Amino acid sequence: MRVYLLKRLLQVIPTIIMITLVVFVMMQSIPGDPVVAVLGEGYTEETAQKVRQEYGLDKPVLVQYFIWLGKLVQGDWGRSILSGRPVLTDVLLRLPVTLELIVLSMGVALLIALPAAIIGALRQNTWADYTATTVAMIGVSIPEFFIGVLLLLLFSFGLGGLLPSSGWVYLPGTCPTIVCSAGLWGNAQHVLMPAIALGVGRAAILTRLLRASMLEVIRTEYVTTARAKGLSERPVVFKHALKNALIPTVTVMGLQIGFLIGGAIVVETLFAMPGLGTFGIDAIIARDYQQVQGFALITAIAFVVMNLLVDFTYTFLDPRIRYA
Amino acid sequence: MPEDLKPRPISGGSVREADIPADAGVWPAPRARSESPLVQGVRRIRRSTTALIGVAIVALLIVVALFADVLAPRSPITSDQTRTFAPPSWDYPLGTDQLGRDMLSRVIHGTRISLLVGVSSVLLALFVGVPFGMIAGFYGGRVDTVIMRLMDVILAFPIYLLAIILMIIFTPTAGLIGTMKVTGAIAIVRIPIYARLVRGSVLSIKEKEYVEACRALGVRDGWILFRHVLPNCLAPIIVTTTLGIATSIIVEATLSFLGLGTQPPTPSWGWDLKANVAFIQANAWLSLFPGIAIFVTVLGFNLFGDGLRDALDPRLK
Repeated sequence: MRVYLLKRLLQVIPTIIMITLVVFVMMQSIPGDPVVAVLGEGYTEETAQKVRQEYGLDKPVLVQYFIWLGKLVQGDWGRSILSGRPVLTDVLLRLPVTLELIVLSMGVALLIALPAAIIGALRQNTWADYTATTVAMIGVSIPEFFIGVLLLLLFSFGLGGLLPSSGWVYLPGTCPTIVCSAGLWGNAQHVLMPAIALGVGRAAILTRLLRASMLEVIRTEYVTTARAKGLSERPVVFKHALKNALIPTVTVMGLQIGFLIGGAIVVETLFAMPGLGTFGIDAIIARDYQQVQGFALITAIAFVVMNLLVDFTYTFLDPRIRYA
Repeated sequence: MPEDLKPRPISGGSVREADIPADAGVWPAPRARSESPLVQGVRRIRRSTTALIGVAIVALLIVVALFADVLAPRSPITSDQTRTFAPPSWDYPLGTDQLGRDMLSRVIHGTRISLLVGVSSVLLALFVGVPFGMIAGFYGGRVDTVIMRLMDVILAFPIYLLAIILMIIFTPTAGLIGTMKVTGAIAIVRIPIYARLVRGSVLSIKEKEYVEACRALGVRDGWILFRHVLPNCLAPIIVTTTLGIATSIIVEATLSFLGLGTQPPTPSWGWDLKANVAFIQANAWLSLFPGIAIFVTVLGFNLFGDGLRDALDPRLK
């Protein structure tokens, strides 16, 4: 077990190196001279030379990459071209908002999908099953931002401003500046609609998968055995069937994380949440490429870490993996 | 036929197997001519209502996209400053936006971008991914390692982030070139899906006796790959392609929503939705229609793909 986890942990290193390479290529291919970006249009050749030396721009590309990588590892992610603030600090301040959104939306997804899939599988081909599968089909076909728009129309404008349409109240203790609003209740009000908007699509996919694998598992011999030996329905469903049905589901959910991160970016933009997504999109619009770089790096690294967590969940659900 | 000769569902078999009428259970079916898998598939699709709804939606969208110029009552990009934010009316069935452009015409023309990007990005990913997967699976060894590591680079990124990075590199523009850039970006992030799918199928198919027989007869590798291996992994490719179009359309709409897709004035549903969110409080319909258009399109391809999956490979259900 420990050996497997360690091996899996070591696999992360080449992945992260690949990520830095792609982000470096992106920064290299961005149109425009970096010297102009630092000095503005009116520079002399002398100062330009100085800047090139300072940033290592006069060296071969591969050397530039290693200099750049070395700075990254030491926590120097550059400074925003516009505000001059260190990018790493800003990115880390924004991260908790996005993480909260992603975790809560997964919670919403599970809250909908688990009962829907179990009922659908246990009562196959009844109206309950048809409702669950139809709603799930609709759910996988609506993009997150449109669910968000519908929620906005209903709860922010329709029901007399029941929920705030934009902005953010931080969780107590995560406030990034000296003055900012924080509170549990306010936070819940602000995060509810984004979490639902992001969670519904995942819930639909989860329901479809879990229902299918539950249907398969319920017909296996060990479930028949469990029932035959007189176990009541509850342990049969939750201990024998559900746990095994979750294995293929977790695999696919791992693949879904990429979509979840993308969805988070979109939902944050729609609800104007101060998370990583809005940070990245604002930076792209403002052409603040130092910030864009930080956004790309932290998002990709978060992706790697989340995949790692999924793999660990996997070993918990299926002990056979450890020996593979 | 005597009762005891009818095939019985094996214990633990699915309800569906038990439901098979007894006279349909004689295998192989006593027909004069065996049906090709294609004909069988078409027959199964015709029996499924949901799949037919999907086919109908897709067919309708294709017609709308092809004849957008005829169907749209007005130009999608000509603005009329005297008629901004007109509510839905007889003249303007879906109203007008902040520039006085007819929303119905914009939604109709948006079909083109969505379908064009959705279909061509998947085809592009297919044309790169399938050969890669076939070569990797068939030859194995170092070729396999190089190709699959390359795919791993793409998979190391969440797909939206990579699409965003690619669009930053390509720089989004309007018109056909802009559409091609989006297509390319989405195709690149989708290549590994097909490469891995095909590689997996090829790995199992190349161990089959008929492939070995071909080799023993001295058939060239290329002929074996295209004549014997490819047709046998076609079913999952077709299903994944159809469902992939649905995903690509969502990715395109999302990129447009973020302002990184095809640039205005080219009509695109994602962009229209985003542009009109600012006025959502007073003019709810403006964001609703492009959203509904995206939803119906994606639903159509999803239903069609689900039907295809059930028809071509019942095991996948």
